[in-house]
This record gives sequence, structure tokens and C-alpha cells, in this order.
Amino acid sequence: MAGVATSSRQRSKIAPYLMVLPALAYLGIFFVVPFFSLARTSLSETGGSIYLPTLTFAWDFGNYTDAFSQYREQILRSFGYAFAATVLCVVLAFPLAYVIAFKAGRFKNLILGLVILPFFVTFLIRTIAWKTILADDGWVVGALGTIGLLPSEGRLLSTSWAVIGGLTYNWIIFMILPLYVSLEKIDPRLLEASKDLYSSAPRSFRRVILPLAMPGVLAGSMLVFIPAVGDFINADYLGGTQTTMIGNVIQKQFLVVKDYPAAAALSLVLMGTILVGVLLYARALGTEDLV
Amino acid sequence: MSREVPSPIDPQLMARLTASRTSRRRFIGGSAAAAAALTLGSSFLTACGSDSGSSNSTTDDGSPASGTLRISNWPLYMADGFIAAFQTATGITVDYKEDFNDNEQWFAKVKEPLARKQDIGADLAVPTTFMAVRLHQLGWLNDISDAGVPNKKNIRPDLIENSIDPGHKFSAPYMSGLVGIAYNRAATGRDITTIDDMWDPAFKGQVSLFSDAQDGLGMIMLSQGNTPENPTSQGVQQAVDLVREQNDKGQIRRFTGNDYADDLAAGNIAVAQAYSGDVVQLQADNPDLQFVVPESGATTFVDTMVIPYTTQNQKAAEAWINYVYDRANYAKLVAYTQFVPVLSGMTEELKKIDPAAAANPLINPPQEILDKSKGWAALTDEQTQEFNTAYAAVTGG
Repeated sequence: MAGVATSSRQRSKIAPYLMVLPALAYLGIFFVVPFFSLARTSLSETGGSIYLPTLTFAWDFGNYTDAFSQYREQILRSFGYAFAATVLCVVLAFPLAYVIAFKAGRFKNLILGLVILPFFVTFLIRTIAWKTILADDGWVVGALGTIGLLPSEGRLLSTSWAVIGGLTYNWIIFMILPLYVSLEKIDPRLLEASKDLYSSAPRSFRRVILPLAMPGVLAGSMLVFIPAVGDFINADYLGGTQTTMIGNVIQKQFLVVKDYPAAAALSLVLMGTILVGVLLYARALGTEDLV
Repeated sequence: MSREVPSPIDPQLMARLTASRTSRRRFIGGSAAAAAALTLGSSFLTACGSDSGSSNSTTDDGSPASGTLRISNWPLYMADGFIAAFQTATGITVDYKEDFNDNEQWFAKVKEPLARKQDIGADLAVPTTFMAVRLHQLGWLNDISDAGVPNKKNIRPDLIENSIDPGHKFSAPYMSGLVGIAYNRAATGRDITTIDDMWDPAFKGQVSLFSDAQDGLGMIMLSQGNTPENPTSQGVQQAVDLVREQNDKGQIRRFTGNDYADDLAAGNIAVAQAYSGDVVQLQADNPDLQFVVPESGATTFVDTMVIPYTTQNQKAAEAWINYVYDRANYAKLVAYTQFVPVLSGMTEELKKIDPAAAANPLINPPQEILDKSKGWAALTDEQTQEFNTAYAAVTGG
């Protein structure tokens, strides 16, 4: 009898580990192994034919310094664009999430559905559609020109504005949803309490709602910023020759120039910089609780 | 990974979605996402694959071609009813896939299996000449026998006498075209005749160049007195420097794949480096569009049928090439694709089914245009690498 009890206790101890096993295996196969392969490539030297290159591991840290010095402009630009898009996402998404969480009433699910609806159309098609909307001869450019709000280039496509706009548009859903979740969790009685204590509406927003929404802002910012930094589709379709991002460089290094070590080094530089940035950001916002 | 695109699409589907017009060189950029996924994934996936065995036989036992022929071609590069007619005529079943959307992307996908001599799911593919040469140099192509393709004699003499594959032993041209300049006459307000015209300050931010090194730099080298038929490092660098200078001035709006056509049609671009066949098709919608071979000359490209050494039906592939090389059959293809024929004496056959195409100088170019058109030499690995790297430094990475 004692033996049975022990083994069942043992089983219950093992059970949680068994349950995370698929996820661990997935991470191992699709993240850890490729990550080390990428890291190894980034420190290798190329040899042999360029079409069937042989990579020799050589601790070649020169790949990193070369990549960074040669493409500093694109790296900085990517972070600038992603930052601008993240700020825009917060500014645009916050009021919307607020309305959905507090004011929408029975229309809540309908509005949430409408928010998600455009994302049934694939990313690429939506981005290409913006080309039509923002075309030089289109009504948007015409209208902006009439009221004198056109950028100095006299167009929207192939400018930083179009790329940042595209990034904002494509990733904003990842800001709206976490913001909505964190706002929705706020207990309405807290707002009533602040009202009872004669707090003005702006003040209770600042002192009650905003702090409680911070985990949503943090989660949303990371979900928007991280993919936006590495994005290359928006710069490809909506940008021009002066708006290339680091994603475009990596893509070209992998597929056209076929300098795999340089491409791998750039990918890792990007990954490392994002990681540091995110850690600093999370610390600055003072929260470890995501959503 | 952060730069992964959230919704990678089947490249074949993507090609169909984006290639809205009958043009086959479009939307390289659109497929880039899929290409990236393929490149990163291919080596891993193929490493798991088992050797399917190479059952190709190049020996002729005298029996007629039969069975199934798997063709991998560019999107919208095939006339309606052509495959059905071939199947009826030969009894061969064709499994036709429009999954060839970009040379480098395709190469990235097939290089691992081909290096292991594993089946790539195609018995015949249609890469551009430079890619065919690369495959040949790697030893991955079967010869195309003269006995299997008696209609080889119909190929244009100037193509037969090429320096890359004299007599067309491993490559069978499919379509040819010119890389020239297209412009929107309504937007430019004048005719464009030279490379210098592209740098007119009036067109600032309205010019597009090809991001592909050969297609982008060839005509610029010609305007500088250099030739892609015998390219030198200095000549290429000189062209790259000019492009950089113009780019720094803000003259160039985009470096494009084949997606320039949309910008040109939409009026976002006034002057573009362009492929002749595309422009013929765009002119149908917008008569203001013009295609010109610059006074200093243009480059040509040839897409060519090849039989990978992993083919499972060599005979059927040769039967297909022979069928394509019949002038009456080939006229149907040209009438559809609007590119320049690779067979000689096509004027008569074209007149029968499409008099407009026969009279179109972009489909049936006069001799003086052909004389001004140069093809790139077969580049060595080092040259390709060097030129691609030099140009990529300007085109943004």
C-alpha cells in the first residue's frame, strides 16, 4: 500500500514537468537549436563556392563590427521608426481600448470584433492596399496638398511617414488587445471610490486608471515594438530608397548577397539590442506583471 | 524571431494573388517573405528528408515519351489551352505548377535537394539564363538531346550562336525580352531617349531602377561606354557610383523587383527601368506608357527551359520542348506572354493569330533595336558576388 502511495505522489510531482514537455521540446527544436545555429553562422567564415558556401567556424567577431559599422544608419532608423510607431499605437489605441472597456456596454463584443476584422485579410494584402490609398494621384495626397500638410517630398509613399504609418497600422491590434484586457480588469468600484473622494475625472484617470493600465501599455509596447523593429514589408512596399530598415538589409544579405555570417550577425545584433531595450523599458515602467 | 512575418503565405498562392496582370516578372518583393522562410527552413527540412532516389534515365530505349511531366514555370507564363493541346497531342500528362517566382528564391529552395541529387518535384523548370548557367556549372542539369528536340533548328540564329551555351546543349530558351526604360508620357511631358534623361531634376523622386544588379546596371554601363558582354570591376563600379550619386540626390524613388509596373500605372513613378513584355501589357490600359531602348543600348534577358539531373521523365521533358519549338504552337505562347520570341521566322505565324503582336516592335523588334541590345556574359561566382555586393551597398543593404 505504501508503495502505491509513493508512486502516485511521485507521479503527481512529475506531472507538471510532463505537461510543459511539449512546449519545452517546441522551444528547443524551433528556438534554441536555430539560435545556436545562427550564432555559429555569425562567427563563421565563408569559403567554397558562393552558391554552395561552406561555413567554417572561426570566432570571427569581425562580422559583428562590420555589420554594425556598415549598417548603423539602418539599425538606428529601424529603432526610430519602431519607437514612433509604438508611441502612435499607444496614443491611438488607448482611447479606443478605454471606450471598449468602459463605455461600449452591449456593443463591447461587436467593437472588439470590428477591431479584429481587418486582420482576417493577410498582412501583405493590407500593406499593398495602402499603396493604392496613398498613391501620388490619390485623394489622400490631394487633400493633404490642398490644406498644405504634405511632407517636403510632396508625396506620402516612399517617405518615412508612410513606413511609420504602415507599421502603426499593421501592429496596432497588438496594442489594443492587451490595453483592453488590463483596462477591463479595473474594478469600477475603484473609480467610484475616487469619485467619492472628490477626485476630478482627469485626476482619477491619472491616479487610478493609468497606473492600473501600465501592464497593458508595457505588454502592448513590446508586442508592437519588437516585430516593428525587424519588419521589412512596410519599408519594402511603402518606403523608398531612403527608408530601408534593418530587416531589409538582413533579407538582402541572406537572399541576394548571400553573406550568411553578416546576415546572422545583424540578426543577433538586432535581437540583442531589442532585449536590452526591453529590459530597460520594463524596469523604467516598474512592472514585471505583463497584462 | 522578431523579423518573421506573421502570416507567411504559400508562394504559389502569393504569386497568383499579386500578379494581377498577365506578367510573370512581378512582385519579387511580395515573395520575399516566403523566400526568407524558405531559405531559413529549407536546409533543416531537407536534412530530414530521405533520398527519394534518382530514377532519371537519359538512355533512349526507342519508346515514345509517356507518363507524367512535372513543369515548374513563372506565374502567368502559359497560354490558355496550350497544356491541354500538348496532352492530347502526346498522351503525356502534365502537372503544371506556377511556382517559379524569382530565380534566387527558387535556387534557395532547390539547392539542398539538388546537391544531394534528390527530386525537386519538377522535371523541367524555366530559370533565367544566368541561373541555368549556375545550375550547369554545378553539374545539376541533363543535356537536352538534339534527337529528342528536332525543332531546336527553329531557334533564332543569334541565340544559337550565344557564347554561354553554344548549340543549346543544356538550356532551351523559352522567352526573351528587353530591359529598357518605360515612361509615362503624360507625367514626363516629353520623350525619354537616353539614360541622362532619367536624371532630369523634373523627375526627382519619380524614377525607379531595378534592384537586380544585372538588370539595373546593364544599361547604365552601356551609357558609360562599358559593356555587360565583357564586364569589368571598374565598369560595374562606375555604374554603381552613378546610381549612388543620383540616389543621394533623391532622384530615385525605389529600387524595384517586378513591382515597378504598379507604381508606373498608378502614376507614382514617371520613368522606370522596365521589361518589354510588361509594358506591352500595361499599354493596353494606359496608352500614355512608352517603352524605349536608350540610345546607348539596353540589355536582353532570356528565360530558358532546363531539365534538372533529378528529372523523372527526360523524354517527356524533351517532347515538351519540341512541342513548344513548333512555330505554330509557339505563336500562341507569344501572343499570350507578349515577350520577344526565341524562334526565328515568327512574324508569319504571329500574323495568323495576333496581327497586333506581329506588328509590335516590342514583341517583334526591328534589327536596329536587336543590334543595340546586349546580353550579360556568363559571370563567374566571384563576379556575381562582387557585382551583387557592390550594387547592394547602394540599393539599401
